[in-house]
Amino acid sequence: MALPLLLFVFFVWYPISFNVVLSFFNNEKFETFVGFNNYIAIFQDQDFLDALRNTFLYIFWSLIIGFLVPLILGFILSEAFHAKGFFRIAIYLPCMISGMAVVFLFKSMFGDNSWDVINVILIRWFGMKDGVEWTKDYHILIPVIVFAMTWRGAGGTALIYLSNFQQIDDAIYEAARIDGASPTQRFTKLTIPMMKTTIFMLLILQVIAVFQVFYEPMVIAGVDNNNAISLMLLSYSFAFVKKDSFERLQYSKSAATSVVLALIILAFTLLYFGLTRYFEKRAEAKSEGKL
Amino acid sequence: MRLVRKNLVKSTRGLHSKQNGLLNFSDYKKRRNVFSYWALIALLIIFVLIALLPIFWLFVSSFKAPNEINSVNYTLFPKEWNFTQFIEIWEKCGLTDVFLNTFVVVIGAVICGVVFNSLLAYVIAILKPYGYKVVHTLVLLAYMIPSALAIYPLVKAIDNLHLLGTYIPLWFVFGANAYYYLLFKNYFEKMPKSLIEAARMDGLSNFRIFIKVILPLARPIIGVVAIFAMTAAYSDYLLPYMVIGNLKSENWTLMVAIFNFSSDKDVAPHILQLLVLSIIPQVIIFIIFQKQIMNTSVNSGMKE
Repeated sequence: MALPLLLFVFFVWYPISFNVVLSFFNNEKFETFVGFNNYIAIFQDQDFLDALRNTFLYIFWSLIIGFLVPLILGFILSEAFHAKGFFRIAIYLPCMISGMAVVFLFKSMFGDNSWDVINVILIRWFGMKDGVEWTKDYHILIPVIVFAMTWRGAGGTALIYLSNFQQIDDAIYEAARIDGASPTQRFTKLTIPMMKTTIFMLLILQVIAVFQVFYEPMVIAGVDNNNAISLMLLSYSFAFVKKDSFERLQYSKSAATSVVLALIILAFTLLYFGLTRYFEKRAEAKSEGKL
Repeated sequence: MRLVRKNLVKSTRGLHSKQNGLLNFSDYKKRRNVFSYWALIALLIIFVLIALLPIFWLFVSSFKAPNEINSVNYTLFPKEWNFTQFIEIWEKCGLTDVFLNTFVVVIGAVICGVVFNSLLAYVIAILKPYGYKVVHTLVLLAYMIPSALAIYPLVKAIDNLHLLGTYIPLWFVFGANAYYYLLFKNYFEKMPKSLIEAARMDGLSNFRIFIKVILPLARPIIGVVAIFAMTAAYSDYLLPYMVIGNLKSENWTLMVAIFNFSSDKDVAPHILQLLVLSIIPQVIIFIIFQKQIMNTSVNSGMKE
């Protein structure tokens, strides 16, 4: 009992509490208590504001690209009749490549040079004059990074959707079929309402995951490129890379950034847990009502 | 035209035996539905191509010599299939050492991940000592907040224990994983209570009950956690980079090596070969454990 707890203390609780306390002090030696000054400082810091903007851009793009793709995939996989096994494995294959390798793979494909493969395709097939400089503009860079994340993650999420689509009772479809409901009606009136809970849960899980985006901007854009920096990466960067005007690393600002991000994630997670409980209770009430 | 239609109908004959799902055999008596089925399959094939083409591109391009990768006259396939550069890059990066290190880290992580989390889950779920609810809530809190958020205090604490530059933190960090703990706890709570009672009647101590009764019964969930810990430890980067990134290259794990070599002038042009070599063990593991991995990934989304 004691040893596993000690591990949790050392690896999880101690570092987090350390950061929370540190965010109210001027430096890592805890010399003076400064109240909320670190928080005021980061909200006046252009890097932090950029990171905050980017984090919400990540969420926006991942809702457009990353949310729909696995849902559509899961549905088609559940309806596919031919070569089921092949499709499943092919869709899942990118998931087993480690995140770091995926990031470097996309960095090589989406290089800025005109001879990097995506630019070659754009120039030869789509008649662009020069290639695109991906890292120069956050309106281009963030969708590319979200694409890389989706490419790796979609297969796993699609399998979750797949198993949920398959749990829908065929008798319900059969009843609707006998009543003369067209496939479109069955889809909008039966499939979607029954999948609502799953969709919503995975959506929140995805938002939580996107708040933690870290390696992707670090490798594809670099730590000092504000076009892609995320809150997580900024917190790391304050503690290990970025120095203030006195050439010191900014541990307190890093801690304050972590706390802000942790609070955002905590809010979403609590929302997730609360909704799971709510949906479960409602499902229980429904089944009891039927009995 | 008629021939084409005939073939299409013939090829979709299988659909007339489809029993389940939104569309089944009776829907596929209508030609319109058959066409929409094939439209969906076409969309699926596009997705599959998007999933597979980057991997295909990576494998093909990895046979190109560096001067060909950066050549203005782009061709998909290499003009010369350069096999020897894999051996060169293997020796230049000392990949034998790197893979051995990765293996050592992964094995340690799997053992720690299974042993410590199952032990904690056993105590909380079955023994329920005084204050177990507080501990459970604190672990849940850890589950919500990503540990990478507090990387600086963690590294400093590791340094204070003089463990910087050793593999020990990389093993033990997997012993404090809230998600593995939850998986174990949920599994233990579903076990029949009578078994544990019977073992207690026979005079077994709590620890021996864990070893002799609980663990043999928990084999499926141990397998799940072991696979999770294996893939996670293999791909883990941030903490390894912080702990052993400053050591000489023969002490690095694979992910640290990829990251550090990517800014090395000699190796950077060969990054694609390095990536291919890093993927191969994962492909082998996937082929061996394909069923288990695909099943666990279905469950993994249903955290809690």
